[in-house]
Amino acid sequence: MKIHTNRFGSIEVEEKDFIYFKRPILGFEHLTRFVLLVQKDHNPFLWLQSVDNPAVAFVVVNPRVIKDDYNPRVFENDLDFLGIKNDEDIALLSIVTIRTRPLRITANLRAPLLINAENRMASQVLLEDDDYPLQYNIMEKIAEPHGQSFMEQSTCMRLGKHLETVPQC
Amino acid sequence: MLILTRKSGEAINIGDAIKVIVIEIKGNAVKIGIEAPRTLSVYRSELYAMVQEQNREAVSPDITLAECMGYFLKREEKK
Repeated sequence: MKIHTNRFGSIEVEEKDFIYFKRPILGFEHLTRFVLLVQKDHNPFLWLQSVDNPAVAFVVVNPRVIKDDYNPRVFENDLDFLGIKNDEDIALLSIVTIRTRPLRITANLRAPLLINAENRMASQVLLEDDDYPLQYNIMEKIAEPHGQSFMEQSTCMRLGKHLETVPQC
Repeated sequence: MLILTRKSGEAINIGDAIKVIVIEIKGNAVKIGIEAPRTLSVYRSELYAMVQEQNREAVSPDITLAECMGYFLKREEKK
């Protein structure tokens, strides 16, 4: 099926590419279906595009790419809720905020998106642990080269819709 | 808003599935226990509001990271 997006125009996706938010991205409660768009060059910054609202797209990144010791205590409840049985089915994504004037780029490590890579069910999870900030500065990280092999093995890549032409994040 | 007075150890049932228990009252802080189905998320209101706000700020940025990098490199050159 074709979905319309403001940023990428019309893109061809299949229902099997959808990620379903069983619990919403807070503030976007009415939007449950998203697709994760992966660029050909495996840039670790990905677009999470809403299927139902063409204007809604987030820049997301695997939090381990920007903070390699990221290891939050995710509640068993949340894993159960999404039906996650194996560790290798856990995918985490951080939403990136880009502000201009002054330019500031942060990732939300406090409320990651938790996805079951097996059944593609997702939920935004709020961590009780305040070691992880809502606005983790990643300004210096975006210019760093990221390990290609890491990204290729990452669970997020399994979830993504790989497209030949996606505008860069 | 419904307002009820409860003492330490007392509880409130909301519908069939939710129970809110006052565990302890100490000074101006109240420790509350909540029993709710897993399908419901229970969060502190201020954290919930902060995450909502953060998400709204993040949605559909008008500048891309690629553009930021251009800016970044220019700034480095100037140094």
